[in-house]
Amino acid sequence: MTSADSREAAASPSVSNAGQATFDLGLRMGGLVLAILVVALFMFIVKPKSFNLDVGVSVLRAMSSVAIMSLGLTLVIVVGEIDLSFGAMYGLGANSLAVMWIVYGIPVYAALPLAIAAGALVGLFNGVLVTGLRIPSFIVTLGSYNLIYGVSLWITKTSTFNPVYPPPGLEIPSEQLDFFTNLTASFGTHPISLEVVWMIGLALVVGYLLHRTLFGFRLMAIGGNPVAAQLARLPVTRYKILAFVISGVLAAVAGILDFSFIQTAQPNIGLSFTFPVFAAVIIGGASLSGGKGTIVGAMSGALLLAELQQGLALLTPGPHVQQLFLGFVTIGAVALDLVLTNIRKRRSA
Amino acid sequence: MNSAGIRLRSLTKRYGATIALAGLDLDLRPGEVLGIAGPNGAGKSTLVRILAGEERNDSGELTFEDRPWSPVGDWRAVAVVHQEPQLFPNLTVAENVLVGREGVRARRPRLGEADARVMQAFGIDKFADRLLADCTLATQQRTEIARAVARDAQVFLFDEPNSALTDEESDELFREMHKLAADGRIVLLVTHRLGDLCEHAARVAVIRDGRVRAILEGGSLSEDGLALQLVVDSSAHSIGKREATQPTTKDALLILEGWSHGEAFEDVDLSVAPGQIVALVGVEGSGARELLRSLAGLETCSGRLEIAGRSGAQARRFSAYVPATRQFSLYSNFSVGENILVRLGRPEIAGFGMALKRRRMHRLAAEAVQRFFIKTATTTQGVRSLSGGNQQKVAIAQALSCKPRLLLLEEPTRGVDIQSKQEIYRLLRDFASAGNVVIMFATEVLEVYEAADRAHVVSDGRLSAPIMVHGYSQIESLATDIASLERHARENAESGYATRRGH
Repeated sequence: MTSADSREAAASPSVSNAGQATFDLGLRMGGLVLAILVVALFMFIVKPKSFNLDVGVSVLRAMSSVAIMSLGLTLVIVVGEIDLSFGAMYGLGANSLAVMWIVYGIPVYAALPLAIAAGALVGLFNGVLVTGLRIPSFIVTLGSYNLIYGVSLWITKTSTFNPVYPPPGLEIPSEQLDFFTNLTASFGTHPISLEVVWMIGLALVVGYLLHRTLFGFRLMAIGGNPVAAQLARLPVTRYKILAFVISGVLAAVAGILDFSFIQTAQPNIGLSFTFPVFAAVIIGGASLSGGKGTIVGAMSGALLLAELQQGLALLTPGPHVQQLFLGFVTIGAVALDLVLTNIRKRRSA
Repeated sequence: MNSAGIRLRSLTKRYGATIALAGLDLDLRPGEVLGIAGPNGAGKSTLVRILAGEERNDSGELTFEDRPWSPVGDWRAVAVVHQEPQLFPNLTVAENVLVGREGVRARRPRLGEADARVMQAFGIDKFADRLLADCTLATQQRTEIARAVARDAQVFLFDEPNSALTDEESDELFREMHKLAADGRIVLLVTHRLGDLCEHAARVAVIRDGRVRAILEGGSLSEDGLALQLVVDSSAHSIGKREATQPTTKDALLILEGWSHGEAFEDVDLSVAPGQIVALVGVEGSGARELLRSLAGLETCSGRLEIAGRSGAQARRFSAYVPATRQFSLYSNFSVGENILVRLGRPEIAGFGMALKRRRMHRLAAEAVQRFFIKTATTTQGVRSLSGGNQQKVAIAQALSCKPRLLLLEEPTRGVDIQSKQEIYRLLRDFASAGNVVIMFATEVLEVYEAADRAHVVSDGRLSAPIMVHGYSQIESLATDIASLERHARENAESGYATRRGH
C-alpha cells in the first residue's frame, strides 16, 4: 500500500484558508440575504407606496413568534432529533396562562412562570421518551402534539379568552393587565413592539448557547455522530433532553408573547405554525440528519418567510400565492444547497 | 457444466492513492471450494466486491466459461453469503427466496414448485411463513443460500460466514457449502480462520499486496503453512525489531480477575504493568473484541476490574476507547481540530458559563496536530479531507486528549498506509512509555509483531498464556506459535466443555 500523503511533508497547521465550513455558511447566508433583498426590491418596484419603515417594522413583529420557536427547533434538529409539538405547545403556553390567570385568578406574575414551566415539562416528557424508551422523536412529538392540543381544548373548555374582556363575573386587576400588555408594548416613532426586542434577545442568548458554549459544541457533536458520542461517553441523553426542554420553553414563551400582543387566546392557536417554523429552520441551512444548523440561518429564514407573507398580503393576490411561495422557497433553498455542495465537491475532487 | 470456470487475469483496482489490486491472477474452478486468505488491506474484500458486482475493476479481464464476463451486469449469477445476511427482515422466509424474481404479472407472486423444492433441500421449508427477522442467523444464511440457488446462481462467495454462528451451525453451513461445490458450482471461502480454510478448502490462495502470492493445496495446506504465508516478506514492511520494553514500575496498572461476560468470554484474569502494549489476538466471534470493549465499560460484565488502583465507574475515567471504524470515532460535520477536542469539557476547553475558550482550543488543536503527526493544512478544515491514516491519528488524538492511563484500540492500523502505520505505532509506544498501558484487539500477526510487547490469543472466550513478542527475532515463528495456540485452544474447546460461543 502506498499513499500520496506519505510523500507530502508534514505541513505545519495554519489558519490561512480558514474554514471550508465558514465559507459554506457565508455562501448560504449570502444567498439568503440576497433572497431577502430581492424580495424587498421586488416589493419596492411593484408597490413603492407601501414600501416604508412601518411595513418593515410589521414584518419584524410578524416574524417574531416563528423566529422564537425556530430557535428551539434548531437546537433539536442540530442534536439529530425532530420536534413536531412546539406549535401545540405555543397554544398551551397562551391558553394555560389565560385559564390560570383569567379563570382561576392566579396573579399573572405567578401564572406566567407556571405556563413557561409547562413548556419545560412537555420538553422533558418528549426528551425522556425519546432517550429513555428510544421511541423515534417524530412519533413521540407527533403524539405529544395531539396530547397538548387535547389539554388546551380541555382546560379552556374550547372557549376564547381575552384579558381585556374577561368572562362575566370575573375581573382582572388593571395593574396586572398593564404588566401583561406592556410585555409587548410598542415604542418609538415607527411603533415597534417589544416582542421584537424579546426575539432579538432570545436569539442572542440561544445563538451564544449554540455557537459559543460547550453545550452547543457537544450538541453539534451528538447530532453529527450519535454513536461516536455515546462511545466517547458524552452526555448524550442529558443534552438531548435539554434540547427538547429548551424547545418547549421557547414555544411557550412565543405563545405567551403573541397572547400579550394579540390579547386573544384560542385553543387551536399555534398549530398552523408547525410548518412555517420548520421551513425557517431548513431554509436557514439546518440539516434534518443532525449536526448542522445556525441561529443566524434560522432567523434569516424566518425573516424571509415573514417578508414574503407581509409583502404578498399587501399585493393581495389571494392566500394561495403565499402558500405556493412557502412551498417553493423551502424546496428551492434545499435544492440550491445540494447543487452548490455537489459543484464544490466536484471541484475539490 | 463446462470446466473452464472463472478466470481472472491481471485485475487491478485503485482507490485514490491506494492500490487494492495490483494485477491479480486467479482461476476459480467449478466443483471445488477455493479458500482465500490474506492480511487486512491485502485486497481480499476488493476481490469479493468485484466478483459480487459491487465494484468495477480498473483493468484486467474476467472470463466466465471462456467468454468475457462482467459481474456488474450479471449479478444474478453471483451470491455472497456474509456474516450479516443481506436480506429483507420484514418479509417471510419464502418471500425472501422469491423476491427479485417476481415476474411481470400484476398478481402477487407465489412460490413455485421449484422454489419449494429448493427450500426443502435447505431445510427451511418449515419456516416458510415465518418473518425473516424472527429466524436465527443460521436460518437467515440458509435463506440467503436458497435464494441464490433458486435463481440459479453459479458462483457462491462465503465471506467470513461463520463468525457469529455456533459450532454446530457452522458445521451445517459448511456441509451446505460442500454440497454446492459438489453440484458443480464455483465456491469461494474467504475467512480469517485458518482452521476452517485447511479443513474445507481444496486450494487456498494467499493474497498479499493485491496479488496472489501463493496457492497452497494438498500436503502443503496446513495452518502453520498458511500462517507463514500470511506474514512472509512482511519484514520488508516492518519497522524493525525493538528492544524488550521494561515495565516502568512493578505495580500493575490494569488488573482483571474472574472477569466474565454473559456470552463472549468467561473468567478472564489479566494483569498489565505500566509501559506495556498488549495485543488480544482472535478471530471475529472469539470474544476478543468484546473483552476489549468491556474494558471501556461498553459491555456488562461481572468480576473485578481495576485501573490505576480504582474500580467501577471511577476506573472508567482512566480508560479511553478508540472505536473499530472511523465511522464511529469521527464527526464528519466537525473540523480536524474540533474532532480532536470533542471529548474535552470544563475546564479544558470551556470556562465560566460553559463558554468555549476558542483561542485555547485553537492552540490545543494545533499542538495535537503536531504531536500526533497529523498531516493537515489547517486545524479548521473538515476531517473528511484527510487520508485514512491521518483520520485514524485524529481518532487516537481524540481518545488521548482526555489523558487516560489505559488506551483501548481495535485493529488500530486497518486500512492505513505504511507511513501512518509506523507513526501510529510510535504514538502508541510513546504513550505506553509514559507509564500507561495500551491494549489492542488484533487479527494480524504483523500488527502484533510490530506493536505489542505481549500477546494473548483469545479463543472461544478464553485467554491463552502470554506470548512475549520481543522474544521472537522472526515474525514467521511468532505466526506459527500464534496459529498453534489457536489450534490448541480450539481442540480443547471441542474435547472439553460444550459450545458456548454464538448468540
